[in-house]
Amino acid sequence: MRELVKMVVVLTVICAASGFVLSYVNEVTQAPREYQLLKYVQEPSIKAVLRSYSNDPIKDRIELTMGTNEKGEPIKKTVFPAKENGKVVAIAYGSAATGYHGPIDVMVGIDPEGKLTGISVMTHSETPGLGARVVEPAFTEQFAGLELSGQLNVAAQGGKISAVSGATLSSNGVVNAVRSALEVFPEVKKEVF
Amino acid sequence: MSVAKEFTKGLWKEVPPFRLVLGLCPTLAVTTAAENGLGMGMATTFVLVCSNVIVSLLRKVIPGKVRIAAFIVVIASFVVIVELMMQAYFYPLYKILGIFIPLIVVNCIILGRAEAFASKNTIIPSIADGLGMGLGFTFSLTFLGGIREIFGNGTLFGHAIMGASFQPFSVLLKAPGAFVCLGLILGAMNLISARK
Repeated sequence: MRELVKMVVVLTVICAASGFVLSYVNEVTQAPREYQLLKYVQEPSIKAVLRSYSNDPIKDRIELTMGTNEKGEPIKKTVFPAKENGKVVAIAYGSAATGYHGPIDVMVGIDPEGKLTGISVMTHSETPGLGARVVEPAFTEQFAGLELSGQLNVAAQGGKISAVSGATLSSNGVVNAVRSALEVFPEVKKEVF
Repeated sequence: MSVAKEFTKGLWKEVPPFRLVLGLCPTLAVTTAAENGLGMGMATTFVLVCSNVIVSLLRKVIPGKVRIAAFIVVIASFVVIVELMMQAYFYPLYKILGIFIPLIVVNCIILGRAEAFASKNTIIPSIADGLGMGLGFTFSLTFLGGIREIFGNGTLFGHAIMGASFQPFSVLLKAPGAFVCLGLILGAMNLISARK
């Protein structure tokens, strides 16, 4: 009986100590882990859409809460500012819309006047060789300089963007993601600039 | 046995992957480049030394019947610490090593040293044993990774060293290449030992 009690007590104490230490390490490394994830996963896109900056947009990132979703939970948006001489010259944030097969995540860069500095498709599940070609610079470079207007549409709807041939829905998905990013821009602008 | 002897046995006489032929899963899987082998070896060394220390300290407290369970909890905790640290400070390496970081838990070198050595010895020899075995493992992985990287890709630690006309044996970077290299190293080590 005494042996049994000892086994239970020793194992419990070891597990409890281990849990205690791990939760501490988890807490301490939380911020650097988040930073690394953003740096290696999103920085390539951020670099592509912000033309020039002298700061670290990931370190200076701003977390905004904008309205609530259908379930009443607050929607969080992470905004990456590009600064030069301490002044914000453009911002980048993510946006999403439905393409042909599923959601398309797009990073958009916007200058203070609401003009696009560039866009980059981060993740998508479009058809390889067809819809997937929306990630190519030939398509994404058309967006730079446009603002929220009729021009920001595919050519078939009177806009200036030539869709990837054979992939109208994918192209529209990207356009919609960019449009919805620009739609919330006035709200973001109040908080950032 | 002296502390120095405990330390050096892991470097040649009982070097884990080549002599004990233990811990082969990471040895074969992550050694596509010298840098990956080095990173994996360092992570394993850290876990090995830390778990040896704790196991050695607790060796009189842990009841014999549940010792393996207790050792595994200790080892697993240090592995999670390594994983979190690597994620926070060495993200590219973390991406490359991937699943093999959590799998350090089931690396039989670590449980083997806890069971065979640390649970029977005091703390100083246990640290020496863990360091020796860990460094032996690190050297082995770096060496194997280096050979595969040089002949499979023409580089070492990412620097081109074989000249432009070199045609890489890309099979060495695949799984069969790992087995071939490991076999050749084992053979060479046996040859050297047999001569002595």
